[in-house]
Amino acid sequence: MFFHIPLEHEILLHPRYFGPNLLETVKKKLFTEVEGTCTGKHGFVIAVTTIDNIGLGMLQTGRGVALYPVKYKAIVFRPFKGEVLDALVIQVNKLGLFTQIGPLTCFISRHSIPPEMEFDPNSTPHCYRTSESDVLIQEGNYLRVRIVGTRVDANDIFAVGSLMEDYLGLIS
Amino acid sequence: MSDSEESAFSEEEEEEEEEEEDDEEEEREYGHFKKRPRSEFIQDEAEETDDEEDEYEEEEHDFVKMTSGPRDKGVYDERDVTGARNLMLKTILTEENEDEVEAYLKQKYASAPSASVEEMEEQPREIIQQSLLPGVKDPNLWTVKCRIGTEKETVMTLMRKFITLQTTDTPLLIKSATAVEGLHGYIYVESYKQQHVKQAIEDIGNLAMGKWNQMMVPVNEMTDVLRVVKDSASRNLRQGSWVRIKRGIYRDDIAQVDYVDTSRNKVVLKMLPRVDYTSKKGALKGTDDDANRKRRKSRPPAKLFDPEAIRELGGLISYDGDFLVFEGNHFRNGFMYKQFGMNAIIFEGVKPTLGELEKFEATPEEVEVEVSGSAIGAAGLEPGDLVEVCEGDLMHLQGSVISIDGNNVTVLPKHEDLRDPLEFNISELRKFFQVGDHVKVIAGRHEGETGLVVRIENNLAIIFVDLTMHELKVRPRDLQLCLEKSSGVDTSGHFQLGDLVMLDQQTVGVITRMEKEVFKVLTQHGKEQSVKQHSVQLRKTRAVALDSHQNSISAKDIVRVVKGTHIGKQGEVKHVYKGYVFIHARNVMENGGVIVTRSKDLELAGSTSNAQALTGFQSPRLASPSPHRGGGRGRGGRGGGGGGGRFNTRDTSLIGKTVKIIQGPYKGYVGIVKDCTDSTARVELHTKCQTINVDKTRLSVITGQESAGMMSSWGRTPQFGAATPAYGNMTPLPGGGGRTPLYGSMTPSHSGDGGRTPSYNNPGYMTPSHDPSRTPLHGGSAWDPSITNTPARTDEWTNYGSAPSPSGTYANPATPGSVQYDNPSTPSAYIADSPQSNSSSHYGSHYSARTPMYSSDYKYTPSPTNYNPMTPGSNLEYSPRTPGSPLDTGDLGFPPDIEVMVKDLYHDSSLAGKVGVIKSAVGGRVSVYLYDDGQDVDIPMSFLTHVPPMKGDKIKCIKGVHTGNTGYLMNIDEGDGIVKLDSDGSLKIITLNELAKLVTRT
Repeated sequence: MFFHIPLEHEILLHPRYFGPNLLETVKKKLFTEVEGTCTGKHGFVIAVTTIDNIGLGMLQTGRGVALYPVKYKAIVFRPFKGEVLDALVIQVNKLGLFTQIGPLTCFISRHSIPPEMEFDPNSTPHCYRTSESDVLIQEGNYLRVRIVGTRVDANDIFAVGSLMEDYLGLIS
Repeated sequence: MSDSEESAFSEEEEEEEEEEEDDEEEEREYGHFKKRPRSEFIQDEAEETDDEEDEYEEEEHDFVKMTSGPRDKGVYDERDVTGARNLMLKTILTEENEDEVEAYLKQKYASAPSASVEEMEEQPREIIQQSLLPGVKDPNLWTVKCRIGTEKETVMTLMRKFITLQTTDTPLLIKSATAVEGLHGYIYVESYKQQHVKQAIEDIGNLAMGKWNQMMVPVNEMTDVLRVVKDSASRNLRQGSWVRIKRGIYRDDIAQVDYVDTSRNKVVLKMLPRVDYTSKKGALKGTDDDANRKRRKSRPPAKLFDPEAIRELGGLISYDGDFLVFEGNHFRNGFMYKQFGMNAIIFEGVKPTLGELEKFEATPEEVEVEVSGSAIGAAGLEPGDLVEVCEGDLMHLQGSVISIDGNNVTVLPKHEDLRDPLEFNISELRKFFQVGDHVKVIAGRHEGETGLVVRIENNLAIIFVDLTMHELKVRPRDLQLCLEKSSGVDTSGHFQLGDLVMLDQQTVGVITRMEKEVFKVLTQHGKEQSVKQHSVQLRKTRAVALDSHQNSISAKDIVRVVKGTHIGKQGEVKHVYKGYVFIHARNVMENGGVIVTRSKDLELAGSTSNAQALTGFQSPRLASPSPHRGGGRGRGGRGGGGGGGRFNTRDTSLIGKTVKIIQGPYKGYVGIVKDCTDSTARVELHTKCQTINVDKTRLSVITGQESAGMMSSWGRTPQFGAATPAYGNMTPLPGGGGRTPLYGSMTPSHSGDGGRTPSYNNPGYMTPSHDPSRTPLHGGSAWDPSITNTPARTDEWTNYGSAPSPSGTYANPATPGSVQYDNPSTPSAYIADSPQSNSSSHYGSHYSARTPMYSSDYKYTPSPTNYNPMTPGSNLEYSPRTPGSPLDTGDLGFPPDIEVMVKDLYHDSSLAGKVGVIKSAVGGRVSVYLYDDGQDVDIPMSFLTHVPPMKGDKIKCIKGVHTGNTGYLMNIDEGDGIVKLDSDGSLKIITLNELAKLVTRT
């Protein structure tokens, strides 16, 4: 699920940037430091939309660098258990499917794939297919997946998904 | 609801009838599938009518309910003091108890206005049950002796008798009769007085023996009477569980339960028979009875039934279905199936040994499940765990554990209607997990691993492990919900997941998985092995290897596999070991994402740009093809200036060439290159019928035009004629004796040609020409064969080839040949080394003579005077060294045997001004024999100056076109000398600067 939420971040600025474009540098640094990261609490920071406030820089004792507290709003992507999302198949192996939902890696175990779909190790690329081959999942396909569990680390989120429901599976 | 009761109510409580009816309908609904509503009524001081109804239901339609609990009935009957069973009595009862009924109704509807049957129902069972326990006011239970085997029948008879007599004047006054499963020879009869029992059992034949003596069950033991089924240990006995026999010849034998007959307290066991195959059977029996009798003491061994052996002994075997029957025992598949009484077996805490299991051909794993399923209870359950009830009425109810007290677990149910904690026996609970839960394995082989549950099966959870991305099958009881990612399993002792370990001298591997005491290791050969922790050694390396583009790769580099089985994969280098590279690839599932390849199958990420950058950095001079560099290895490749471009494809350039091995055990062998990689070549030897792998640096090409220049050093002089075009340029003035001195100083590099890696002599040469970042590698490993593989090489050649006049600069020095070819006065260094090979050594020295020219920045740069004439088209870089420039600038004009004088500047003033003859010149130092001192002294070249030759001296040309030639100075004419060259006897006029006095050694 996507959220647009206010966040805070602290930027450490090297003295070499102390000059006319200081705030620009802070902004740039914020973008590079924050976008694309992931926190367990908020999920993946997709994009910074607005920078609300750049606080006063505080020089760090003995280091020369300045610390700017920045308040900004960002669009974050936080997957939840039970959420249904569209995923891109990245890898197919006998354990199941590895998919990518934007920045989120989602694993769909073969136990969570309808039993009539079987792994075909002989095909290239590897795929899951029904015996009649009318449904075939391989790398590059898009799936509709229900997230059945997430593992939230400090700076990453990993999800396991399931296709074992109506209306889930290959999106054509 | 019976008509009678309705009518009774209609008489008495007109207004309340409807409500009552509703209520009772409700009650009936529940009554049909649960006992609880009944209980509820009872708790609220049940009215008689309800009891009666139940009683009717039970006694008329449902015999089984007779056994369902005297205490229940006791409670009902408690109020049924008059024992009313029929309409008449009921009428009386309602009349008599009018007040009571009224009170009841009032209480019921007043105190519980919600009249919520549902709410009542949710009261904890235990409390309800407490109130149901029989007390002293309840009727007693009497045991009555009965003919064995007829218990149920007798109870039926009693019931019929009761029904028959209930409308008569003398109804039976007993409350119930019960036959308990598993209790033989007794039935229970419930009544207030023993007299009632006696009355009831009178005239019943089966109970004749109990006629006189009935025993009363103490009140506090009454509940136990019917608890039999629940608490009997036999209920733990299931098909497949293991038991031992207590007595008989099968004492202590293990047996597997095949079938449990709880009603008869018997089990059918599957076990190994102990059949005596030694004694005669059947018709032959009795022939040696005495012997048998003695032997009977020792029991026959347990083994599979062997019908053939029995038949041989004369035994008769009959068939019963798929059973064999012998001597009353049933056999199938060699096992005996025999019925045992419960008391003849031990069924608690039986754990079969592995040997026993093997005999039963049960796989240990299955057994593990079995055994642990029954033996392990409390283990693993902790407060906070989510559990599911797996037995009893509340099956499938979920809840979380609040507290554990021994075997009693208090659980807070997760149900919208159940809000109070319930108590369960620990065996009734099992841990509950859902797909997607993040769990940690807390016991067993995989202890400590964490992962996400991807599937829950019956008593099995499949987990997708975080660290290694593989699946595990674990029993739910070994799991625990957890939030953090496992870190416990990735270290063990001083080993860590991903560490490089030595398995033995030859084999290393990377730890891909850690289990208890055992590592899964991916060896450099790509195999996964399990090793014991203590059998491996940690190996720390900071090795580097070269990828397919000769970029050095080391740990933490990102590489791509461009060849081999793992082609296309990309990852981070974890370890490098002797050309094997362990890579962690994120998208690889196997072996924890670790793959192993040869380093040459790899490509450093972004290496192409890297190589280009390298080209850009290189100044042409630094990158120049110094023979020092290439000397060791690719002579063939370096063969000519024109051949430079071939270096791009030098992998194949050697194939098919005839080479000579110049080092190692095969030194001197000649062969044909069959195959060639970056570093090694497969050489088919001419002499032996054998193909061997040889390091390229140990090879020297001995055929092919372009390598002609090199051949010289190997005595292949005849081929010189075919040497590079520049050769022709060199020849016109063969008499240039002045050139000779040049070579002396070059000797050292000649030795480099002999197969040594070039940097041996002048490591300094190597360093600057490469990507600066790589410097340490080359500097540090001068002998490393890989040194010739430096990427810069390829580029420098290309670069060089594109220079405006490469051939001049390059080719010339390489082909000086013929001039000195016949020259008898070979450089002394050479003579010293290989006196026999004068001619060839010339070429060697020539060859090496190239070096200084390119490295003219260095001290022993060759004299430009010599140089320029030879290289008409040479780069401007070199041309500033005009002819005639002073010798004392550190030029290399000091071949052996010329006379020199030590300059005054020399620090050792005692030597200053002294004159001597050069014995040899090595590097920048010259060994000079001083006439005065009569000794050899090493003096840097820069402190030497030539002694000008006098008329009539033997001379040597040290510069100019005649360099290297010797001759006789016939006359001196204003700075020019008239020289008669030894080579062809021609007269030449040569500047005195170019001449040095030659001292003929005696």
